Formats: sequence, structure tokens, C-alpha cells
Amino acid sequence: MSKHTKTAAAVAFCSLLLGTGAQAAEEKLYLFNWTEYMDPEIITAFEQKYDVEVVQNYYNSLPEMFAKLNAGGASQYDIIVPSNYYVPRLIETGLVQKLDHAKIPNLANVKEQFKDPSFDPGSAYSAPYQWGTTGMVYNTDTFPDAPNSWSLMFDPKVNPDYPFAIMGDGQVAIGAACGALGKPYDCNTLDSWREAAKLMIETKSRDNFSGFTDGTPALQQLARGVTHVGMSYNGDYLYFKGEDPKAFEHLAFAIPDEGAEMWVDSMMIPSGAPHPDLAHKFIDFILDAKIGAQLSNYNYYASPNAAAEPYLDEALKQPPAQPTEEEMKRLRFTPSLEGEQLQTFQQLWSEVQAR
Amino acid sequence: MSTNNIAVMGRSQGMVREARHLLFTVAPGALWIVIFLVLPSLYLMAVAFMSNGPYGLPQMPLSLNSFKQLAGVGFLGWSPGNLYTLLRSLWQTLVATGLVVLVAYPLAYYITICRAKWRPIMLLLVVVPSWTNQVIRTFGWMNLLAPGTPLSNAAEVLGFIPPNMGLYPSNFAVTLGLVYNFLPFMVLPLYAAFEKLDTAQVEAAQDLYARPARAFWHAVFPQTLPGLLAGIVLVAIPAFGMYVIPELLGGGKAMMLGNLVATQFSGGSNWPLGAAGAILMLIATFIGLFAMRRIGKRLGGGEEVVI
Amino acid sequence: MRKRTLKRCLTAFWWITLVFLYLPLAVVVLFSFNASNSAASMTGLSLRWYHQLLGNEQIMAAFGNTLVLAICSSVIALVIGCLIGYGMYRHRHRKLGWLIVLIYLPIVLPDIVFGISEMAFFVQFHRLTGLLQPGLGTMVIAHVTFQIPFVALIVYSRFVGLDPTLFEAAKDLYATPVKRVVHFMLPTIKPALISAFFLSFTLSVDDFVISFFTAGPESATLPIYIWGAIKKGVSPEINAIATLMIGAVAIAAAISLLFSRKNQHSRKRQS
Repeated sequence: MSKHTKTAAAVAFCSLLLGTGAQAAEEKLYLFNWTEYMDPEIITAFEQKYDVEVVQNYYNSLPEMFAKLNAGGASQYDIIVPSNYYVPRLIETGLVQKLDHAKIPNLANVKEQFKDPSFDPGSAYSAPYQWGTTGMVYNTDTFPDAPNSWSLMFDPKVNPDYPFAIMGDGQVAIGAACGALGKPYDCNTLDSWREAAKLMIETKSRDNFSGFTDGTPALQQLARGVTHVGMSYNGDYLYFKGEDPKAFEHLAFAIPDEGAEMWVDSMMIPSGAPHPDLAHKFIDFILDAKIGAQLSNYNYYASPNAAAEPYLDEALKQPPAQPTEEEMKRLRFTPSLEGEQLQTFQQLWSEVQAR
Repeated sequence: MSTNNIAVMGRSQGMVREARHLLFTVAPGALWIVIFLVLPSLYLMAVAFMSNGPYGLPQMPLSLNSFKQLAGVGFLGWSPGNLYTLLRSLWQTLVATGLVVLVAYPLAYYITICRAKWRPIMLLLVVVPSWTNQVIRTFGWMNLLAPGTPLSNAAEVLGFIPPNMGLYPSNFAVTLGLVYNFLPFMVLPLYAAFEKLDTAQVEAAQDLYARPARAFWHAVFPQTLPGLLAGIVLVAIPAFGMYVIPELLGGGKAMMLGNLVATQFSGGSNWPLGAAGAILMLIATFIGLFAMRRIGKRLGGGEEVVI
Repeated sequence: MRKRTLKRCLTAFWWITLVFLYLPLAVVVLFSFNASNSAASMTGLSLRWYHQLLGNEQIMAAFGNTLVLAICSSVIALVIGCLIGYGMYRHRHRKLGWLIVLIYLPIVLPDIVFGISEMAFFVQFHRLTGLLQPGLGTMVIAHVTFQIPFVALIVYSRFVGLDPTLFEAAKDLYATPVKRVVHFMLPTIKPALISAFFLSFTLSVDDFVISFFTAGPESATLPIYIWGAIKKGVSPEINAIATLMIGAVAIAAAISLLFSRKNQHSRKRQS
């Protein structure tokens, strides 16, 4: 072995050793979260309070998160933040563990309506993080009198030649397609899925379909003028609007008349989490009144935390952060699919993608 | 008698030593590849014959369902999506390989007729872009082909694309990305072939045939065929299994087999189906290699033709 | 006359192809100095994206991971591949067809099949034994697997190119095999070792697909980070990292050019 490679080897092994050495010295919390979904100052505050280090990893979609957990992530992350319709499937697969409510006194701060959600009775496995909506974002210059309808994407007569992107998460995309067909957003019968899939395939073959894009990047595309209609989340829309008001001046967020998604993102602890105690502390920390408000004030999502109410910014009390009464009636949870139904849906969506 | 015995013993001792030597040098690497590649591949193949669990993970009992699904037969009856993807992969591979040949052939020839001093530098210039990461190269094309960029505007004016759209994402962008990615893989073996060209034969052919095209066809082309075949193997096989380029430049319209396989794992939906797709890719790869080898052997190039 | 027009056409074609080859990279470099966050127009020069890079812990960590991964895997692959290369040479008269197949396997296997089978295998293995958790360790294993064949082939071809009588001479000169290895073999194949190391290093830095599927939560490399950033839709920063990586490649290219020049000269002097 030449001298150079020897030194190189020595350096490499030392750094590997150092890497593992540092790991043992300080406790770490592995947070697996959506992109652009956490105030860095909250992380710093948590790190200081408990003298730990927080390692953040990000995902852009729930399928991506689920796949990572399946591929060994269940024993590597301490906290995950899935949306409502993935909660039952995570519980069923045994990828998450029960919460120890005794260790999370701040659970009492949670609003009544989020305390016993349909997707996780009694909050046995999950604690709410934020809630929000998935709507349509469009360019008001391009579409000065756009209909408040999914047809802006799915109807070639309404939007013949401006590029649009559809969300990459199959269930949300098919939900929107159901809406465009005049069915409820949370359609879940085989027949309506079939029709929606057919519409998706036709839509995909249109010239101005620019691709499947996840919620956060869809906003970047819109801001840059790459697309003129897309699907994204209300809080992300407000957040990026705050960051770059000029680029978002001509972009509007809408909850289409046919209905759209309302979701609750929940904190959960993977079954093999390396630091479950710290994870419980983290959940409790987030559910604190002031921290909860800080989080919502940072990323513009409505808070499921009743105690945080007094500290919330004005922007959070009006649409689109807080949908109107009338809009609330149109919002639905994405259905949680299980067993055979889930497999059927996966096949249908795979077919849409492969075409 | 006794000396004979000793010689035999000596020889067998030598053979033992040789065998030990072989074991000592070859075993670590061979074991490494067997444990960390052959076993995993076999495991993946086994997964293809398992049934899909409700949440996408393989489970018992064994079944052929994944292959049925790959062929398009599911709960919903037969549907052509996967077949489309397969055909699209084949078509993209074919077009990209063809274009790469068309560009690389004159390029390699040009390098051989340049002054010897410049040749290494010219080859290096062709190869260097492929040293940068694939993701970065593809990202460069995303920047170039996005809507509103000069290239997209020009294409729009010329009527190649509908208004307001970019050249990316599209099938065209994927083809372009593939050609860009694999060009050096074709130039290098072709250059090697051109360098070995028997000029006497070429000159004889030039005398024999009046038209340069015929001279080329009879004297030059056959001589470069081994290099061409090697290049085709180097381009077509990885192009067929490409993942990054369709994912970034295709925008969901241009899914190829590699993406179909990957989404079954990274979308967390169906490991057995993904594994079945992987087997299909392996079969295609080995058929390709085998065919090239056969053709190469018939042409007399022998072993060196393949890579 | 006709020949000259042909040559002229070819020259033009050469330059067009060069533009084609370098345009995407040039665009990345150019826009990394863009003052505004726009992919379509340059609004002025600035270094703000580079400043942002330095402050980004994740990018720095990814950079460190990339280096550690490339160095560790190249060193291991060098040792193992070198042994195989020598074994193949020394026993080239035997029937080693199976070994050739084994060595070519990592080269011909499509990346995606390679990456996914390793991922599935590691996941299952980890579930059963608790070992091999996805992370830098599994990535090193995967990278070594695809580097071994290249090292072995380079070393093998160097041995084949040597005069066989050299080995006899070395046998007379040095009594023990260890001495032969240290004083004869390693020095003679040193150029092959160096180029094998650099090739392995480049292959490791260049790889995305296999790393992507074998990575763990803390082992993202630069390509994986860039991939994530593209998917997330943040781009000016990516231009800056990409430019730095392109710069590194350019330097490597210059070094390899110098090397080949030097080799040519020394070979000329020898003959």
C-alpha cells in the first residue's frame, strides 16, 4: 500500500471512529418531518432545554415517508409526522408504538375535536401537530376570472393551454379528480375511483400537463411561472408568500367548490425508535401552549392546540389558514384505506402512473 | 521409484500451495460479491415469487401474482399501463442508442484524424462531463429546458411545443438526457476501433469502389463494428434501466421500467411487483449481453468485444 | 477537395458537440452566481448562494459523508480488488470463467436492480439480526461491491502487460514472498494502484442510485442532498454546490491530463 493510501485509510477510519464516538457522547433526537415544517428556533430551544441534538430528515410525500419507515427507518427515527390517513396503516403494520400519555401532560392542551380523532381513537398512538387544507393554487394573471373549481386543471375546455401540475400523492390526486367529476372529494367506491383514474389518464396525456409534483415544490413552480395551476397546502402557500411577496402577488389559494382535503398531521413514535423517552419529551414540548403558537406563527398552519390560541398571530385566524364556516363544510378527510381496498387503489394508481 | 514419488508429492504440494494462493487472493473479493450482491439479488428474485402484503411488503405464501400484475392483470382486469411503460423503455433505449451512434461515430473518427498530440485531450474533453454526478448533469438540462428559457422559447416560436410549455418535462427531454449521459460511453470504444483501422484496406477499397459511401461500407464500417457493438452494450443496457433521467426530466409522463420498479419500493406500495420488474430488467440485460457476445464472436472479435 | 470539406464539416460538428456537452454544466455554473432566484434570467452577479452553503450544516455534513464514503470504500476496494487482480493473473491458465462472471456482475447489473436488492437485503438482514442498519456502513459495503471489479481489472491488465521474466528475477532477488510483494510487486503496479484508487473514488462520488437506496437517516451524501433539494424545488443553492463539484471534477481532469503527459514522456525516454 502506498504511503498516500495509508494516510487516507487512517484518516477515514479515524473519522469513522470519531463519528461513532460523538454519537455516544450526546443524545440525539431523530426527527423525520415534512420539508419546511419546523421553526429552527423551536429546535434550538428544545436542544438547549434538554441538552441534546436534534437531527432532522425530511420527506416530500407520505408514500416516501412510509417507504423509508418500511426500509428500516422504523428503528432509526424517533418522531414522524404523518397525516391522518396514514395513521391507521402505520398502526396496523406495527411501524409505530403506543404513546405513554403519562409522559405527555400537555396533551390536555389539545382542542376537544382533535382529542379523539376517527383515525386514532383516544389518541392512543398519535398527538396532533398542525392541521390544514390541500387546495388549488393558481395564477390570477393567467386566469383573471377562474372558476372556483378543479376543472381549472381537469377540464381541457377551461384550461386549454396553460401548464398545470397535479399532486404526486395518489389519494389526494384521485380525490381532486373525483371532485372534478362532481363526486365528493373523499370518494372511495371502486366505480368512482375507476372514473377518476380514467380522467387522470386523459389529463396526463394532455399537452399542458407538466407532471406530478408534491405540495411544497408545486409552489416553487408556480412562483417561477413554470406552471400556472397546481395543488398545495394553505400554510405553505402563506409561508412562501411571506418569504417572497412579489412572486406570490399573482397567486391565489382556493378551496374548490367541489370539495377538498382537510388533514391533521400527527406526531408518532416509530416502533423501534432509538430514544422513545426523548421522543415523548419532544411531543410534550411541541404541545406546550407557547411553543405550539410559535410553530403555527412560523409556518402558518392552524393549531390543534387550544391553549395556544391567545398567542396566535392574526393571520392564522382568517382564511386560508383558518377556513371559513362555509368552506369547512366542503372539506373532507382523505379516506384511510386498508387491506384489499388499499391494494386495489395502489394498482389503480400504479396504472395511472405507468400509462 | 522413490524419486518419482517425491516428484509427485512435490507436485501435489505445489498444487496445494497454488490452490491456497488462489483461495487467499481471490476468496475475499469473490465472497464479498457473493455475500453483498449475489445473495441480495437472489433474495430480490425470491421476493418476486412472494405475495404482496396489505402494506406493500412481501409475505408468504408464494405466488405468481406479481408477474401477473406486471403483465397488467390485476383486480381490475387487464390494463395496459405496465406494457406501455415497457414499450416506452424499449423505444427510448432504441432512439437514444441510435442517436448516440449517429453523434459518436463521426466524433470518434474526427478524433482519430486529428494530430496525435491533441487526441488524449480531445478524448478527455468528451469524457469529463460524465465524471460529474448524474444528478447534476440532469439538473443542468432541467435549467436549460425549463419554460421561458431561450431554448424553450425558440422551440415554441418554431412550433415544436405548444405555447407556455417548456421543453421539459417531456419524453423529448428524457431522450436528450439519455443521449447526453451516454455519449462518452460510445465515443471511447469507437475511437479505439478507428485507431486500429487498417488503412491499407481502406485505400484498396477506395481504389476498388468509385463512390466513397461504398468504400466506407465495405472497408471502414466492418472494421469498426466490434467497437460499435461494445458501445451499444455500454449504452443500451444502462439506458434501459435508467432511473434518474426519466424521474427528473420526464415529469411523470415518461416513466420507464426503472421508475416503475423503483416506485414499488420508494412509494411503498408493492415490493413483489417491483422485484418482478427487476427480474424483467435482468433478463433483458442478459439477453442483450448474450446477443452481443454471439454477434461479436461471429465477427471474430472474440472476448474483447464485450466491454 | 472533397476530403477538405469533409474535415471542415467534422470540425464544425466537433465544436457543436462540445457545446452540447458543456452547455448544461456551464448553465449551472453561471446561475450559481446569479443575484436573484431565477432560472430564466441573470440579474447580476453575487456570491450569496455560496455564503448560504457555508452556513448550511446539512450540506457540510453531506460533504463530509461523501468524502468519508469515497475514501473508505476506495481503500477497501483497493485491497480486495488488488488481491483478485493478482489472483486472476497468477492463475490465468486455470478455468476461471465463474470468477470472470462474478467480477462482471456488478458492472452489468442495472444500478436500480443493484441498489434495490441491496436495500431489500439489508432491511431484511437488519430485521433478523439487528446488524447492518442502513447508514454509512451499508453504503460503504455497496460501494466496495461495485468498485472491486474495476480495481481488479485495472490491476490484472497491468500484470498482463508486464514481462513474465520479471517475476522469475524477483524470485531470485527476494527470498520471502512478503519481501517480493513489498519491494517488487507493489512498486511495479503502483501506477495501476493509483489510477484504480482514483477511478474508485470517482465512481463513488459519481454514484447516486445505489447510495440513495442504501442510505440511512444520517448518511446523506451530496448527490442525495442535491436530489432532495431538486425534488423540494429549491434551486439556486443547488447550482452553487453543483458548481463546486464540477470544479472538483475539472481539477481532477487537469491532474489526470498532467499524469498521462508525464507517463508518455517517461515512456518515450525509456524507449
